[in-house]
Parts: sequence; structure tokens; C-alpha cells
Amino acid sequence: MITGKNISKKYEKVYVLQGVNIDIEPGQITVLIGPSGSGKTTLLKSLSLIENPSSGSISFDGDTFIFPKVKEKVRRQFSFSGTQTVGVVFQNLDLIPHWTNRQNILKPLGEKISTEDLSELNTLYEMFNMEAFIDKLPHQCSKGEQQRVAFIRAVMLKPKYLFLDEITSALDPELIATLFKYLISLKKRGTGILIITHFLLFAQNVADRIVFLKNGRIHEEGDKQIMSVPKTKELEIFLNSIKGIIIK
Amino acid sequence: MSEILKILREYRGDFIIGIVVTLKMTILIWCIGITLGILLGILSSRFPKIVGVPTKILTFLFGGIPVLVFLYWLHYPAQTLMGIQMDGFITTVFTLASLNTFLVAEQVRNSVDSFPKEYILSAEVCGLTPIQIIKQIQIPIIIRQILPSVLLIQVVMMHSTLFGSLISVDEIFRIASRVNSEVYKPVEVYSTLALFFLAISLPITGLAYILKRKYSFIK
Repeated sequence: MITGKNISKKYEKVYVLQGVNIDIEPGQITVLIGPSGSGKTTLLKSLSLIENPSSGSISFDGDTFIFPKVKEKVRRQFSFSGTQTVGVVFQNLDLIPHWTNRQNILKPLGEKISTEDLSELNTLYEMFNMEAFIDKLPHQCSKGEQQRVAFIRAVMLKPKYLFLDEITSALDPELIATLFKYLISLKKRGTGILIITHFLLFAQNVADRIVFLKNGRIHEEGDKQIMSVPKTKELEIFLNSIKGIIIK
Repeated sequence: MSEILKILREYRGDFIIGIVVTLKMTILIWCIGITLGILLGILSSRFPKIVGVPTKILTFLFGGIPVLVFLYWLHYPAQTLMGIQMDGFITTVFTLASLNTFLVAEQVRNSVDSFPKEYILSAEVCGLTPIQIIKQIQIPIIIRQILPSVLLIQVVMMHSTLFGSLISVDEIFRIASRVNSEVYKPVEVYSTLALFFLAISLPITGLAYILKRKYSFIK
């Protein structure tokens, strides 16, 4: 389990996160929702230790990092030796520009790729309709195509925890359905998944747990019921502002 | 055209000497400038205060003094002050290689400093080691970014070897001028000279523009 305790993060004098407590459990999908600028991406970056929080602690399966005591960049959660502790797909995707999409997926896997991995890859290429652009360079592809490459790249590293920032933003409905099914299968295999999305219908369908963040604080969390029966005023206002896309 | 060929045939030996000297100077200036420039650029980025600031000041100084003045200064007063005497060929190579070093260093430093951090982060998240990131991501991207401008600098450096003629280096321009003083056919002689430079410069300049367009997708 990844546990974040009392996480705060400030940039210069502005607090972007304030005393956030959150757990990411294996075999569970947690969805972070909230208005733009609420600190969702900062929380994802803090939990994955891409950026060290200003204070608080983060534990990966018992390995605890206390801030601000830990000053250096922590990167061992990303090291790959058949599996990875944390995998991340960024909102900006940031595929390596001089590698083809195929190389972007294969190079992190190292020199020797097992037959099982290759067969899994071929299944994924087919599942996500990637044959037509797999050998193109990222800049020759649409955002939706790049999103699929970045997602497959992260998934192929077999992360124990997978963090996805706005993964559905450029996908068409058919592909969102495919992604949905695939995320459920990953969850069943024990992967702990954290998703940031503005697509609330997707959030409501895929989530085991929903966390609502506003102004750097968690205002409400719970199962998908909180989307139809919010307990806090903040979540109610947020949901009312985007009325009509929640399944009651 | 026949007149040009006639002159080239008649003064073949002289022209070959001039071409060889020009090419020798050019290759030395390119090799020294690019090698030292890359090193200095990396060091400037790595140690901005100790190496970066002095390099920037020297680049400004070099940029502010016309090449010819700098060449003359190094060939006459500097050598007198130091009590040494160097061949014009060496002075020209030294002057232009120094200039090339600083210009290339500036390109490298800029590219290293402005390298998109998101690519490094993306690679870190994929489990790539720091060495792999430098070898497989940073160096190839930086090379693609700086190659067009470095190639254009090299064309300018080659053209600048002409200044060597003013301190008695028997390079192609000096040879051409000497031949012209004998045959007095400036149109033919200097057109031949222009063709020689075009033959070398055009492919390099063309390549620089092609590379610039090809790699414009890199942030």
C-alpha cells in the first residue's frame, strides 16, 4: 500500500497541498476529482515522489520517507527489473521525441524482452488499435494516439501502482471503453491505480474509491455513492457545476 | 568557361597548394573548435560560476572584436609582447579555432541549459538509469538541436580562413590574387574561387537547413 500522511506542498509561499492523508491500495482504483488548480497533479507527483512534498510522509509498502528530512530525489520506485513499484502517465505524456512509438514502449523494457511480454504487447497493440501508428514518431501522431503509447509504455513495466493523469482526455468513447475494461483487468491482477480525471462519468464507473480535492485539501472521500449523494457542500457545488453527467 | 579551365590548367600546381592549405586550416579549425567547444559548453553548464561566466565574457569579447583585428593583434603585437614568432598558418588556425570554440560552446551551453526537463523525468519514470538518460536521450537530442547552427558556424569559419591571406598564409585567396596579378582576369579567377567555396559551403548550409526542418519537432 502507498500511504501519504499529512502531505503538504508549497511553491514559494503558496500552499498547493495542505495536510492531505491518502492511501492507494493494491487491487483498488482510486479516482481523484476536483476543480482545476485544486492540487490533483501535485498530489500525484508527491505520492509518486516525482516531487518531494514540503512536509509529511510517504510510505511504499513499508518503506517510509519523511519530509522535509529526505532532501534528495527518490527514484528507486521507478527502477525496472521485470516489474516496477510505481508507473506514471503524465498529462503531457512526454514521449521521447526521437524514438518511434514502438521504441518508446520497448526501450524501457531493456535488451531482452520475454516472449510473454511480446505477445502481451501484440495483444495491446491490437486492443488499442495501434498498428497504424506504432512505427511513427510521437510528433506525427495525434494526442489520443500518444496517450495510448504512453499508457502502454507504463503498463508494460508491470507497475505495482499505476498513476494516470488525465488519461482519457483525448480518447474517443470506444477507446475509453477499452481502457475501462483493461483497467479493471489490471485491478483484478492486483495493481493499485490512481486516476486523475475531469471525466466524471468515467470516474464514477471505474472507481472503487473517489477522493474530492479542493484548494489542496481533501473535502470528501468514499465509494462512488458520494457522486450521487455528496455529504459536503464543496462536492455538491462542484457536482452541480457540471450537472447532468452523473448517474444517479 | 574555357578561359577558366585554361587558367586552372596553367596554374594547377598553385591552386592545389592553395586548396590544400585552406582545407588543412579549415579541418583543424573545425576539429579543434568543435571538440573544445563541446567540452567548454558542457563545463559552462555544469559549473556556471567558475567556467560559465568567464566563458560568456570571453565570448562577448570575441564577438565584439572583428576577426581581422583579432588575427592581426595575435600575429603582430601579441607575438612581440611574448617574444615569440609563429607562422601565419598557426596564428590563423589558433585565432579561428578559439573563436569557433567559444561560438560552439555557447550553442552547447544553451542547449544543455534549456534541455526539456520533462524528457528526463519521463525517462526516469520509465526506470532508465542516469547513464542511459544521458546516452540515449540527452546527447541525441542536444546533437539534433545544435547541429544546424554548429554547421552554419563551420561555414563561416571556413570563409574566415581567407583572412589568413593578409598575414601571408598561402591559402586559396592569396593564390588566386597572385594568379590574377599575373593574368589579370579577375572575373574568371574570382569566379573560380567563388565556385570552390560554393562547392564546399552549399552542401553544408543545405544540410543545416534540412536538419533544422527535420528536427523542428524537438521542444
